[in-house]
Amino acid sequence: MALEKQEHRPVAEKGEHIIARHLIEDDSIKEEKNLVIDGVDVSGRWNTFILSRVDAEYDRSFFREIKDTVVGSRINRCWQCGMCTASCTVTPLYRRFNPRAFIYMMQLGNLKELKKYIDVAWRCVGCYKCSQRCPKQVNPAEMMEALGLVIKKYFPEEVESKLKVDEDVKKIYDDMILGDGRLDLAKLHTSAMRKTGRTKELLGKIERDTIFKMAKDGRAFSILRLGKPRNWGKSKEAIENYLKNIKSIENSEN
Amino acid sequence: MNKLNENQAAYYPGCALLTIDRAYNSSSKLVSKKMGIELVEIPDYNCCGIGEMKSKGAAAMYLPLRNMMLAQNRLGSKDLVMACSVCYHEFERSITRVRENRNELEAVNAIFKEAGEFEEEYAPGGEARHILEFLYNEKGVDEVKRNTVKPLKGLKAAPYYGCLYSRPSMYTFTDKKPHMDNSERPRFMHDFLEAIGAETVFYGNEVQCCGGRNVVQDEETSFTLCSQTISKAKKAGADVIALICPKCAGALDVNQPKIVEKFGKDSELPIVYLTQLMALAFGFSKKEAEFGDMISEPLKVLKDRGF
Repeated sequence: MALEKQEHRPVAEKGEHIIARHLIEDDSIKEEKNLVIDGVDVSGRWNTFILSRVDAEYDRSFFREIKDTVVGSRINRCWQCGMCTASCTVTPLYRRFNPRAFIYMMQLGNLKELKKYIDVAWRCVGCYKCSQRCPKQVNPAEMMEALGLVIKKYFPEEVESKLKVDEDVKKIYDDMILGDGRLDLAKLHTSAMRKTGRTKELLGKIERDTIFKMAKDGRAFSILRLGKPRNWGKSKEAIENYLKNIKSIENSEN
Repeated sequence: MNKLNENQAAYYPGCALLTIDRAYNSSSKLVSKKMGIELVEIPDYNCCGIGEMKSKGAAAMYLPLRNMMLAQNRLGSKDLVMACSVCYHEFERSITRVRENRNELEAVNAIFKEAGEFEEEYAPGGEARHILEFLYNEKGVDEVKRNTVKPLKGLKAAPYYGCLYSRPSMYTFTDKKPHMDNSERPRFMHDFLEAIGAETVFYGNEVQCCGGRNVVQDEETSFTLCSQTISKAKKAGADVIALICPKCAGALDVNQPKIVEKFGKDSELPIVYLTQLMALAFGFSKKEAEFGDMISEPLKVLKDRGF
């Protein structure tokens, strides 16, 4: 049965994106005017795949910083097999999204390289295929959360400019989950639309139809009955204190 | 509050099931009751964190574990049943992590102590159970067959498990415990659908992701993933897609008009919950199973097939 279904091609053939990836970068192209090696003229434009470099000066404190968090506690186990990237849901859609490489950069503390990927690094959908298949139980899905923490700490300007939407939505989630104790999905949807400047869409036909349907069958009002858990205030306070006093980069005030 | 008897189970509804996904909530309760287990909601529950709190250390684990404490304290039940796959994942994650990691257990207990809501500390022991796995293991397929009074003959259903019901096995213990489902090729929903007389189709995207987590921030990704799943199921001849997660419903059902607008009619297929189909087969009316709640209009297909 599976074989009959082969004619419709998946988004990426296995391994396709590994070849087609952005291996060529502008600053690694070298032009040689008169280059003769062993009597053969090899002058022309050449791409340097591997630049000579020294990777010995690791910033070990960076590695520790990630290891101290709950989500990144298994970073030391990764042996770079690439199973996470091979099974990733997002990689076929955004080919620069490469969990294995992100983990490698975090292991080395290579912030310069990491900075190039800020625009895709947050796209993880949390489907846990990588964690399921990881032979070393590194839990790459949660490592992407650790990556989020790192980006937030070291590149605040980029977060402000490129990840504004993501951060705003996270803030709405935080306010509701920790603040109210329960999540109001309708409020989440409308305030997320408003914050991301898409208020107009809420008046479009599709949104209007959905809202009308939910108002008609009474679901729009069931949200009023959601209520708050009793005594949530104490838990809220305790959680906020915990987040303030935590010593790793998970600290909310970083 | 009274402690539970043996025919009752502590139930965590979660935020989605009490509001826009009430169809899943009520049909789960109907089905469980018919099969001989009453689901009793825990009082004063709080949100599980739906995956957005993970980077907050032990606070992310406190949220689900507070509900485990409530189940233990108020209802006297170690285990907690839930229908939402995301809640299930958050619970299993917290429970597994604090069982395996003493530091994290201490950090969570420090928050419990400061909140002062419970006298005792959290002690590992209880389990979170997904309603599909719970009914399958506690009651079994035969019980479903026995309760089926109106078999859904001729209905082709595409079972869609989504991500977090079976993955990752380091938290859910699929593959690791013999009574649990398979993590890469789950079977429990297939078995239930076949037991109520429906036909299951193979379409290859059973455990794919719907992008539900990023549905607010990153619609583009979610729409692409959903349209792949829906069109594959449609091509395989499915009449409906059966779900076990309200987040999948948010992505596949509520957003379906937008997906159709973007990707065309190939991405149009009625979405229902597994428990709704079971309730229908158990003799409840379509109104009781609340099929009318779904945006993708499954009522038409059900009428065409004569149910």
